[in-house]
Amino acid sequence: MSGVSRKEKKYAKLMRNQPSNITFSSTDQMAGRSGMGPSESQATNPRCGSFTSLQGVTGGHVQQQQVGSAQPSSYGDHRRSSYRGGFRGYRGNSRGSCHGYSQIPKSITATAFAQARAAEINAMIKAVSHKSGSQFLQSLPPTMRRRAMSHNIKRLPRRLQEIAKKEVEKVSQLKKEQSKSKSRKARRRHGSLLMEFNRRQRKNIWLETHIWHAKRFHMVKKWGYCLGNKPTTKSYRACYRSMTKQCLLQDLSYYCCLELNGTENNLLKALARLTSVDAGTTFASVACLSGKCQGSLVLYKADQYPEKPLGPVTFLWRPKTQPDSSSGNRQLWIWMHPALKMDLLTELQLVCQCLDVPVPEPAPNECKTITYVPEKQTEVVGLKRKQQDKAGEVVIPEKKIIGNGTRDPSTTVVWTSLTNGITIEDLTMEILRYRLIGPLSHCVIFEAIQAADVPKNSEEREETKMYCWWSEYCTQPEKMSLHNHQRDILQLLLGVASPAEISAGTVLGLTVGDPRLNMPRNRTTAIPDLSQPEDLEKLRDLCLNGIGAEYAQSQIWDRNVRNVVTETKISEQKLNQMRSKLLVPGTRLDLGSQESKIPILLVHQPGKMAGQEHTGWGSGWDILIPKGWGMAFWIPLIYRGARVGGLQEGAKHTQYKGLPHFPDDFPDCPAGIQHSVETKKELIDKYNKYPPAKRPNYIHYGTMTPFRCPWQQLVEEWEAHIQAGDLKLAVSGKEQELKFEVQNPNYKHAGVHENKASEEMSNKEKPSEPDEEMEEDSESVTILERNTGCKNGKNVITQDTPAESGHVSVLRSRKLLKQISMWCRPSSSRGQQTQRYRGPAQVPLAADAVKSIIGSYPRFLIWVRLSLLKKGSPIANATICVPSKEDLQLLVSDPNCPGPQESKHRDPFKQKCKALKNKKRALPKVPETTTAADLGITSVSGCGVNLVQGLWPDQIRNVISHCSRLAIGYVSQGDFSLTVGCGEALGFVSLLGLLHMISNQPPNHRGLALVRNPASLQYRFAKINIEV
Amino acid sequence: MSLSLSSSSLYILPVSMAENQPTAPASEGAMDMDQVEYTLRKRLPRKLPKRKNDIYVNMKTDFKAQLARCQKMLDSGCFSEICIHGLGLAINRAINIALQLQGGSFGSLQIAANTSTVELVDDLEPELDEGEPLTRTRNNSAIHIKVFHTLPQ
Repeated sequence: MSGVSRKEKKYAKLMRNQPSNITFSSTDQMAGRSGMGPSESQATNPRCGSFTSLQGVTGGHVQQQQVGSAQPSSYGDHRRSSYRGGFRGYRGNSRGSCHGYSQIPKSITATAFAQARAAEINAMIKAVSHKSGSQFLQSLPPTMRRRAMSHNIKRLPRRLQEIAKKEVEKVSQLKKEQSKSKSRKARRRHGSLLMEFNRRQRKNIWLETHIWHAKRFHMVKKWGYCLGNKPTTKSYRACYRSMTKQCLLQDLSYYCCLELNGTENNLLKALARLTSVDAGTTFASVACLSGKCQGSLVLYKADQYPEKPLGPVTFLWRPKTQPDSSSGNRQLWIWMHPALKMDLLTELQLVCQCLDVPVPEPAPNECKTITYVPEKQTEVVGLKRKQQDKAGEVVIPEKKIIGNGTRDPSTTVVWTSLTNGITIEDLTMEILRYRLIGPLSHCVIFEAIQAADVPKNSEEREETKMYCWWSEYCTQPEKMSLHNHQRDILQLLLGVASPAEISAGTVLGLTVGDPRLNMPRNRTTAIPDLSQPEDLEKLRDLCLNGIGAEYAQSQIWDRNVRNVVTETKISEQKLNQMRSKLLVPGTRLDLGSQESKIPILLVHQPGKMAGQEHTGWGSGWDILIPKGWGMAFWIPLIYRGARVGGLQEGAKHTQYKGLPHFPDDFPDCPAGIQHSVETKKELIDKYNKYPPAKRPNYIHYGTMTPFRCPWQQLVEEWEAHIQAGDLKLAVSGKEQELKFEVQNPNYKHAGVHENKASEEMSNKEKPSEPDEEMEEDSESVTILERNTGCKNGKNVITQDTPAESGHVSVLRSRKLLKQISMWCRPSSSRGQQTQRYRGPAQVPLAADAVKSIIGSYPRFLIWVRLSLLKKGSPIANATICVPSKEDLQLLVSDPNCPGPQESKHRDPFKQKCKALKNKKRALPKVPETTTAADLGITSVSGCGVNLVQGLWPDQIRNVISHCSRLAIGYVSQGDFSLTVGCGEALGFVSLLGLLHMISNQPPNHRGLALVRNPASLQYRFAKINIEV
Repeated sequence: MSLSLSSSSLYILPVSMAENQPTAPASEGAMDMDQVEYTLRKRLPRKLPKRKNDIYVNMKTDFKAQLARCQKMLDSGCFSEICIHGLGLAINRAINIALQLQGGSFGSLQIAANTSTVELVDDLEPELDEGEPLTRTRNNSAIHIKVFHTLPQ
């Protein structure tokens, strides 16, 4: 329809300057579309009197042509061509009859003919003489035109100057009316820029380093934040090198912090419902509870431990202020990813019995999200600014948003329980978190920050009212001694070369001076100073025992101190002004007692902990800073040689550490499920952008789900698979027997021969596609069939969805993980050595042990790391398969073999796709008025949306036995690992599938699996590692 | 010569040690308790300042490559002597490299070995909430071989 209306518009524009009596072409157009034109044209056209109805129109056309050829002006040409088009549309098939002698009229009436021509000539003269718009240049022949004429009318011939002047005036007036926006200079002025920035961060939260990042990073909008994804420079390897050898800095301020306040017992009792001792230490672990170190764990929905996890968090207890007061309130910070926050918050409110009752306390006032920089300072400072240029008008400077700009200030951020006195507070964007990764992160931090000076005498304290918190703090001798101790530790830590040498998760509280004051002039690289420190004994003690719990105390836990620190920050401008007044330019600015004192917290991040290789890789420090001080710490860190990474580098960091990355690798968490849905949509959209010949046909590759991992189907099918072979598993007592006795038809067939496998495959596919084959046979695909097919699909989907909501879970029981990890190792000489040390806790791999696990954890996934033996780099959604016996023999006979190949699959949907495409092509020809057929067609196309050439339709079956090797799992992230130097993949396998695999493998090849990328037929050998 | 052990590019980890169990089966009773409640994690050896002519031998890099690296360093003429360090299992390999260098030099190279003991730290991570995190120290042997050009007589 839109096409037609556009045509009409064009036509109307064309006919604007036509005299009223030349109307036949309109009938032409109408005739072309509706077929009822000719009679009208006769009625309105006076000159057609003597013609027959057919000739009336054709004659008109011929005459037009004659006129056009007589006066070959460009205008006439244009008109003619358009008329010809209209004519063709009308005549259609009987075009041949128009030509020849029959067209020439036998007689014409002179008066009528002349009248008609006169009108046409008039119209033409009028059209030529009236120049519209920018056409005045076009009236000149091309040889006389000059580029400069368009802006200097005096270059035009004088006869055209008059017209041109009018036109130019008209245009300039129009422009004046339009341009409401200010000049670039005005827009970039500080005030307007700030206003613009504030407007833009109402929707998505900006981190304090946003502007810095936006200039250097590809920004993405995720989880309600604007985050830097990756640097715009080519720095993939450079970032990796900084992680390994130098220092990589990352802004993690988007992580959310929830503060829980309450007595220790109440808190622990409430939180115990979210955790389980089975999955490792909990909130109550002794080391964490004292505040000495940071803990991390995965939280679950209340009382539903093995199932329904929420996501991983890290937590930090505030150290007790007085060691004896066990009854006092404790403070607990829980740090989490923003994708998880809302789920966790509701769950915490549930377990803490905190209802959505707004607290009448001062809370909303105190922790107001937008803190304004004191206005008076800016007025004093801004001397250069011409604030009085708009006389009388009071310019109210816009205030900078610090913290969460999206939140409505009236929303509650504090929830209190009436029963047990627990308070939950949302500290999102109140505390900044920077992460430094790499061995040099240690010296970068300790060069950038310096412990705050202690005021020497009382008079200094009195003179400064603003920085009262520090001078007050300094009056208490015990706190002073604490500060001095912390400063000593800072000095001591300078002698440690790498953060990997310190015990994991150590926390150090500090109060530091303004880091902007001792910035180097140029960007430098911090180098560890390893000249033997004086007190080696102390250092050794520090490394062995870690930093004591009492030194983890910091005033950053205190909300009031935080707010004061944020508000009393000296602005950059003021600082620069003070610098400019220095006697010797370039020397360090000494503010004395005026210098801000910032309480911070340093949290040690352990590197790679699990596994044998590369222990301690990627260890570093996190700095927690009160809000408002972001850039003040950011730039000094960068000036010490830290390279900055984005989300991508963060993901790589966790990948090389072998840990699951939060939203991607938690298929059992709500946030993870949502993330996988989003990524799938993104990838499908990208796939659809390519023509079918330029993208892989995943059906040929036997990949059912190239864009997601069907965990649900996987575990369900394995459950059914094991149940089918369960009896035999029970009969066999020992593993060796078990190896031969488990006789599964699928498995038997699996590795035999490719052709046999493909035969079996096609047999398997048959039940799923009887209707498709019917359609292939019959050329005419009836709409009815389509609709039923569509309904079937819907039914399948609706059956799946309730199951999808959460039957799959990830195994996190440490005991079991350790046990399975032991089983997965090949029993080489090394393995036997470990067996010697194996205590009574270790259960040998036997049928009854396996069976008990199968019985208690039927639908579980297990996190594995796969390292490829030879070539190949796996990518996300690659399939992890069980190697057949032949494959293992192949590996033994030829250690350099690349691995088995999957045979190419047949595409049963190709014909269907083609038919659908043809149908779509035929669609526009169908008249629009027929309503019933129209409805049917739209429903077909709605069904066909799911059918993309090269992709399996949504309802999938048989995921595990679709290919020649049994699938046990999928890769969730994989890449060529720069740390190990070979392809490495992280992913999940079905617990049952894994047990089935290892119990059927010979002991020296235990833990070998095959990996196959979604767009490849090549299987690669890989070693399964389970690291705890 | 200062005792120097690096961990960044060439670190030496005794590969033969059993995972999650202390290497020295000193007291059986204490070990059983450890297995139930603690996970053993080894820290990297302490990183010490490194000169340009220090070579840390590990068990992961190809032997030939390490030998070639030493040879190249000696042949370049920049250093009159190089130090080859090996810790634990890598002691054997360090000695091997040094001897090969000497053997291939037709008497122009000499070696001088030095042994030392390196203190290593193990973390014991509690599996249960009640456990305090512990650290243990253990000692491992290390060798430092100086390979230097003899003065032509």
